[in-house]
Amino acid sequence: MFDKILIANRGEIALRVLRACKELGIATVAVHSTADEDAMHVRLADESVCIGPPAAKDSYLNIPALLAACEITGADAVHPGYGFLSENARFAEILAEHNVHFIGPRPEHIRLMGDKIAAKRAAKELGIPIVPGSGGGIGSDAEASTLARDIGYPVMLKAAAGGGGRGMRVVAAEGDLASALLSARAEAKAAFGDDTLYLEKYLERPRHIEIQVLGDGKGRAIHLGERDCSLQRRHQKVWEEGPSPALNTATRDRIGETVAKAMREIKYLGAGTVEFLFEGGEFYFIEMNTRIQVEHPVTEMITDIDLILEQIRVAAGSHLELEQDNVKFHGHAIECRINAENPVSFRPSPGKIVHYHPPGGLGVRVDSAVYHGYAIPPYYDSLVGKLIVHGKTRSECLMRLKRALDEFVIDGIETTLPLFRALAREKEIIDGEYHIHWLEDFLARGELAQ
Amino acid sequence: MARRPANPSTRKSPAVDHNVIRELAKLLEETGLTEIEFERDGVSIRVARQTGVPAPRARSADVTLAAPAAALPPPLDPAQHPGVVASPMVGTAYLGPTPGARPFVEVGSQVKAGETLIIIEAMKTMNQIPTPRSGTVIQILVEDGQPVEYGEPLMIIE
Repeated sequence: MFDKILIANRGEIALRVLRACKELGIATVAVHSTADEDAMHVRLADESVCIGPPAAKDSYLNIPALLAACEITGADAVHPGYGFLSENARFAEILAEHNVHFIGPRPEHIRLMGDKIAAKRAAKELGIPIVPGSGGGIGSDAEASTLARDIGYPVMLKAAAGGGGRGMRVVAAEGDLASALLSARAEAKAAFGDDTLYLEKYLERPRHIEIQVLGDGKGRAIHLGERDCSLQRRHQKVWEEGPSPALNTATRDRIGETVAKAMREIKYLGAGTVEFLFEGGEFYFIEMNTRIQVEHPVTEMITDIDLILEQIRVAAGSHLELEQDNVKFHGHAIECRINAENPVSFRPSPGKIVHYHPPGGLGVRVDSAVYHGYAIPPYYDSLVGKLIVHGKTRSECLMRLKRALDEFVIDGIETTLPLFRALAREKEIIDGEYHIHWLEDFLARGELAQ
Repeated sequence: MARRPANPSTRKSPAVDHNVIRELAKLLEETGLTEIEFERDGVSIRVARQTGVPAPRARSADVTLAAPAAALPPPLDPAQHPGVVASPMVGTAYLGPTPGARPFVEVGSQVKAGETLIIIEAMKTMNQIPTPRSGTVIQILVEDGQPVEYGEPLMIIE
């Protein structure tokens, strides 16, 4: 087991990692920028090292500074958290060269899943269902037409050379294909200098469902169920829950085992999440994240398994002692990501928290690094904290969530608490009937009173 | 506010309670406060601590105690000194170019802007840290071989 872990991150996840280290009796090193001198995890860590000025590129992304901090403190492992360098294969390799363990997957798997096209190919080879499509660029219009008929309309045309919505067309029916191909090609040529298109099945109102996995790098891997993260704004998850209101046990077991089997085959090491779009009872692989995710507490609450602890254990060389049969799901959990933003305009609102009272009680968990009097720096993301609530049923969970949200006080800055208070009372949320466009549709209706 | 009667013999009860003053003085000492004001039954007493040893003055209900103890000014924080040179990186500080060699500078050394003050080593790379300004080294704040963090005060150049 490691003697000393350097936490290469900040905010709530740094505190989360620190907590796991303390419970394992491992010494902790908190690295921080000058803007984070007063961070809670810095205060609680055994040692701290200031690694640079506020800008992330000069501090939390500064590999030489992080390595030097490992050197002067004698840390034998680094936990990268999420974001920052957590999926930087080069960082993992450099640490290994300096005899410091990287608590995460092997660099080759970080690289594989970091390349979206290679990841999709790998997923297909491993038996994970992917979005049916051309696989590569489409040639003639005739080829496109045949493929689209096979896949089934609606289909989406996408530019192979770039994204951002340019060179993209949704084609509802066969009659629209020819003109869509023409305009998509022209747009792609203008935007990227390359008119190559590829074709995929278009999912109109899918849910985002992801599977949590854990592997020991020696061929043992398990899944820990799903999280439904359909409620997103601009591709940022806002509310996550588990189990998904859309899945039953049979479906869960089937997709979970498919994913776990794939992880066993590649001898995956550490925690990971395989993300899918789910529509019409079918799963379609989007990508795999080779790190711990923000919403990991949802899984922890319904399985009673400490994912950070398990990450540390397998990184230190332990076999995965947990077996699939040990993983039991009980009750329901919902997480709300509370940001320092105006709940209507989403304009960031950094500043000092002049009054802070987090909710408590049975089944209420707050993962946050803020405290009464803390000033949120303007240099990083706007996450104030995560409120995670557990109940024996989804109904009980929703009641508890409403209660906890109403009790939560964060004064001095604007937060998205009002948004969650409204969501917890929305019929379709209560019924569990939503999809990846739902939240933006809701926000566009402008019902949130200011 | 009570006044001491001109003729002591006509006093019925002391206008100023000496026990109260003694209590207040003791309280000053114990708490480290510099001044206490106390009022009861229309009598107001102020007991204050002064630096130095002035001649005691007795004025109506104003009793000032002379106390040699003075609050010391807070020690100067080197990080706040305008001449401080702070570490631009994380690493181990070495005062000389090689082990056993003479240090780059000593207290009293005259330096010109750009001259090397100290080495900060990280991952076997020696980084020479230059002085940002010309002047005299008045303080060296780190020891040879000491780990330093970003922003740590290394020396004071005036």
